[in-house]
Amino acid sequence: MVFNSLPFVLFFVVVFTLYWSAPGRAKLQNWVLLLASYFFYGYASWKMLPLLLVSTIAFYAIGRGIYRTENEKTSSRMTSLGVVLGIGLLVYFKYLNFFIDEFSRMLAGFGLENNIHSFGIIMPLGISFFTFRLISYVLDIHHGKYKPTEDFVTFASYVAFFPCILSGPIDRPKFMGQLTAARIFDYDTAVDGCRQILWGLFKKVVIADNCATYVDTVWGDVSAQSGSTLVLAAVLYSFQLYADFSGYSDMAIGIGKLLNLKVAKNFNYPFFALNMADFWRRWHMSLTSWLTDYVFMPLNIRFRDWGQWGMILAIVINMFLVGIWHGANWTYAVFGLYHGLLFIPLILTGAFQKKAKIHTYEKVDVPVLADCIKMFLTFVLVCIGQLIFRANSVGELGLYLAGICKANIISMPYLHYRYIPAFIALIIMLFVEWKSRKQDHALMIQSLNVSVRWIIYITLLVTTFSFSGIPVSYIYFQF
Amino acid sequence: MDKNQILEEVQEIFRDVLDNENIVLEDATTADDIEEWDSLSHIQLIVAIEKHFKIKFTSKEILSWQNVGEMLDTIASK
Repeated sequence: MVFNSLPFVLFFVVVFTLYWSAPGRAKLQNWVLLLASYFFYGYASWKMLPLLLVSTIAFYAIGRGIYRTENEKTSSRMTSLGVVLGIGLLVYFKYLNFFIDEFSRMLAGFGLENNIHSFGIIMPLGISFFTFRLISYVLDIHHGKYKPTEDFVTFASYVAFFPCILSGPIDRPKFMGQLTAARIFDYDTAVDGCRQILWGLFKKVVIADNCATYVDTVWGDVSAQSGSTLVLAAVLYSFQLYADFSGYSDMAIGIGKLLNLKVAKNFNYPFFALNMADFWRRWHMSLTSWLTDYVFMPLNIRFRDWGQWGMILAIVINMFLVGIWHGANWTYAVFGLYHGLLFIPLILTGAFQKKAKIHTYEKVDVPVLADCIKMFLTFVLVCIGQLIFRANSVGELGLYLAGICKANIISMPYLHYRYIPAFIALIIMLFVEWKSRKQDHALMIQSLNVSVRWIIYITLLVTTFSFSGIPVSYIYFQF
Repeated sequence: MDKNQILEEVQEIFRDVLDNENIVLEDATTADDIEEWDSLSHIQLIVAIEKHFKIKFTSKEILSWQNVGEMLDTIASK
């Protein structure tokens, strides 16, 4: 079920009613969440429901085992089992086909014709997201950061939490702390949730889906496009990806608020980043902070005697994993390495360790010229990275890049009046997000006059319904 | 080496690495209390402490510290 669809609305109305009709009863609320989450997941992919349940049971058991055992060695072994199991699931479902195909191709390259071919492994929806929840659970217990949950329903609802299971954000085990006591309906939080959902919907439907049409058309026939069209499509793709993914995250967080549950923040206005390190602190935050805590910091500690180069190695490995987390394609590996290497100058100059702070002019709330330039350069680097991300193969990427470096880059890009609403929405989005840059999400307008607020809501709703693009599947469903 | 002596030397290291002469450490001090102390400068502090006391921490020890006091205990045990 996609959030912006009638089935989901009906589903959520039922869930919301049941959840809040049991006030003061934590257990009942958690049961509602659990059943709703399994229904939600089953609706999307009923064949994979057993996998979700069995892996949840397995990790629940491992978690208790780690906590109960007095023996240090057993504890470590059980933790390793958990981590290997989680990664094993990911490798099997996401990467095995790729390895088999590449192995077969390599053999053929050596002249060894073979019949090896991958079998049709279907990737379970959301596996990249819920396995990370499971793995962080056992690791946090092992490090003494978290006590295992006694109640299976609480744990299972955390793992399968329906607003987040398909595309994140990836919450840590401490999320379960919210499930122990009964949740009491909070009107202000719920209304704030609705605002965030509205904003997410606007971004996804008006900006992302419309840009997708332009971008897909261009990628569908790269060699026929002028250099300037290719550049415009690259820029639009960055905005499409942001609007799609952050739009989905906003909706997921907003739905959480309607249930008075706090979900991890996933985006912090990434286009205002002053350098690549700053960008990655603002983009897909729940994933990057997960990898920072469980991969980057341990590696950093291990390589600490190698000074800056130790840190560089740690970040390159970390970013490589960010890349291939997305899937089994050489383009994702290149994407990861590309971003890892971009950290090198930041680490060597010490900029990596410093917090990037935006300075604005005194009289006008606009970034100073130096910061505008930094934002622009960072944006260019990000767009190039997103091209790598978007390409289906390294060959296709090469074709695209070669296409940009043509003489007709100095020309009018392909434009069509149907994209005007999307372009206007894009400019509005950037303006609104700039103004809200210190807020949790862009539409925290509770302090505005009530009539102004309603004008904004109605404008957004009307725009969303009038200018919705051809629905495109949420990009991050495929990961 | 007594714990107070260790505390003083570690405090000096903190002041030096984090470039802040006003830092005062107590047993209960954590990273939340000191602005410049984040996960990255944490590594620099560890390297400096290891060099100064000529010791080596294990990853498990490093990940186990909840505050300065626990860090000092580990140093004292080496």
